[in-house]
Amino acid sequence: MSTIPALGLLLLVVMVLVGGKQGALSFLSLLLNFIFLFAAIVLVSLHFSPMVVTLIFGVVILAVTIFLGNDDEVTTQTAFFASILVMLVLLALILPVEHWASVQGFGMEDSDDLEGMSLLIGIKFMQVSIVTAVFSTLGAIAEAAMAISAGLAEIVQQQPKIATKQLFYDGITVGKQIIGTTFNTLFFGFFGGFLGLFIWYVDLHYSLGQFLNNKIFDAEILMVLFSLISVILTVPMTTWVMTRRIHRVRKNKRAD
Amino acid sequence: MTKQVRRWVLPAGIILIGFLLVIGTHFDQALYKTPIVRITKVANGKPIKQVDQFKNVDHQTNQVLEGKLLNGRYQGKYVKLHNTYTTSGAYDQQYKVGQEVFVTLQKNGTVNLIQGLKRDVTLAFLVWLAVSLLFVIMRSSGMLALLSVCLNMVLFFLAITLNLMLHSSYFLLIFASLAVIFAALTLWLVLGPTRQMLVTFGATLVGTSVALLLSLIVMQLTGEKGIYYESMQYVTQVAPRPLFFAETLLGSLGAVMDESTDIVATLFQLREEQPDISGKTLFNSGRQIGRSIMGPLVNVLFLIFVADTFPMAILFLKNGNTWGYTFSMNMSLGVTQSLISGVGIVLAVPMASFLASLLMTRRKAK
Repeated sequence: MSTIPALGLLLLVVMVLVGGKQGALSFLSLLLNFIFLFAAIVLVSLHFSPMVVTLIFGVVILAVTIFLGNDDEVTTQTAFFASILVMLVLLALILPVEHWASVQGFGMEDSDDLEGMSLLIGIKFMQVSIVTAVFSTLGAIAEAAMAISAGLAEIVQQQPKIATKQLFYDGITVGKQIIGTTFNTLFFGFFGGFLGLFIWYVDLHYSLGQFLNNKIFDAEILMVLFSLISVILTVPMTTWVMTRRIHRVRKNKRAD
Repeated sequence: MTKQVRRWVLPAGIILIGFLLVIGTHFDQALYKTPIVRITKVANGKPIKQVDQFKNVDHQTNQVLEGKLLNGRYQGKYVKLHNTYTTSGAYDQQYKVGQEVFVTLQKNGTVNLIQGLKRDVTLAFLVWLAVSLLFVIMRSSGMLALLSVCLNMVLFFLAITLNLMLHSSYFLLIFASLAVIFAALTLWLVLGPTRQMLVTFGATLVGTSVALLLSLIVMQLTGEKGIYYESMQYVTQVAPRPLFFAETLLGSLGAVMDESTDIVATLFQLREEQPDISGKTLFNSGRQIGRSIMGPLVNVLFLIFVADTFPMAILFLKNGNTWGYTFSMNMSLGVTQSLISGVGIVLAVPMASFLASLLMTRRKAK
């Protein structure tokens, strides 16, 4: 047996032992996200428009992560709508910034890996870099949206008559509780992977200026910043979607 | 009045000062030793069709640029530059009027080579945007989160410098200790020096270590078949295998802490509300909370680890490689990393629940 399937099996076993049915669903969501990510890569390499691929697969990955991650209807639906809205706002930010920064494709530090490869492949790497940036933040958006909407759903359950203004305030409070730990998840998730790259920079004595304008460093840091910004935006966005939902439910009730 | 000042004037002031700093990076050319040219005129040649050996079609265009040197000995002088770009732009880019580039000058002041775009303004802008949003929406909690990230960043660089001073001979030891310090510092900042912090810290350490140990056993048993350390990027003086383990350890740390914090905090609150709650009930509640967080968290890390390989994977596919080979050479390490981290995230659930229930009921017995 190869190592990756064996590790996959280990993960499946511990997930089922700890989480039961929910654990199996979590494993399924990871597997599906891998399949969708790989399918997205293949489609872009077959010259499908990267923007269309981003939108469709972005929504699919959000749906898989959210609906297989929790089974409370109010929580998942609210989180799903909110995270799609955040993804769209984020896309509107990523598009101009990626063009401005021009961090597409590869840098000098990649030249060893590129040896013997044809770079003239006719696919716009600018657009590929946008897909990459959006995809790398989707998990963080989904997770934050679920945490906020789960917290709010519980508050609504305990105080069914809560004023929407108060609920908005509560959403920000829940956000304040999760922002610290969420930032750490992102910081370590990204910086763990940068270890090799940063040793490279320090080892080869890059100056501060070289470092700050380096294509690969900037590409990575932009991804971290996009993730942080999207998580911050998820807090008011999820709260807003929840208040709209409550508002609609109450209006319907009054009409009855 | 003073409350009003604290509420609005202070954040507005900080955002404004930040914005001025961003504008400042637009005029920071004097701080650079490398000559910088602002492009003032662009003449594009005709795109030339290129077909590679895999029948990929691309177009190559030559550019003649004119620009003004903004710093150094030849400041103010106009120079001519040459550039070639392709439609795909994997390793090159099209330059436009108004952009600033770093160049290498020859002794007589003519340009030899374009080194790359000046990107510091973009970077400063996005940092400013993130910090401002954080400040406006999250206030002091946001600042605390930022402080924790900044401190960790400083520690990270110190550890790298220390490692290079020791010529990487204690590589794994340094970064394993760094992980412990990271966890202690971060949790102390979030929770303060409390019993709750100790429980969370313990759960994080035990969960992560057991996951690494189990994964190592599985990897030994399967002979690390299908893991291609040679596909690791940016390897200098540290061997790929230890580098991979250090990256995995650090990468999963934040997520495991995130989850343990959530579980332990909720259990402490639960005990506060129901002082007579039994250890078993607490343990089960912990598992209940954990099972709904673990799935999304594993996906957060998976997407961070694997989305990154998108550009290289596309290049591989367009260079006539099979799906299998493209996966092995680009994604196998990221997937392995996600799986090991996943085990850590899952194991932290019973660890946090168990430690919390144990410590809380013991205190009750007294």
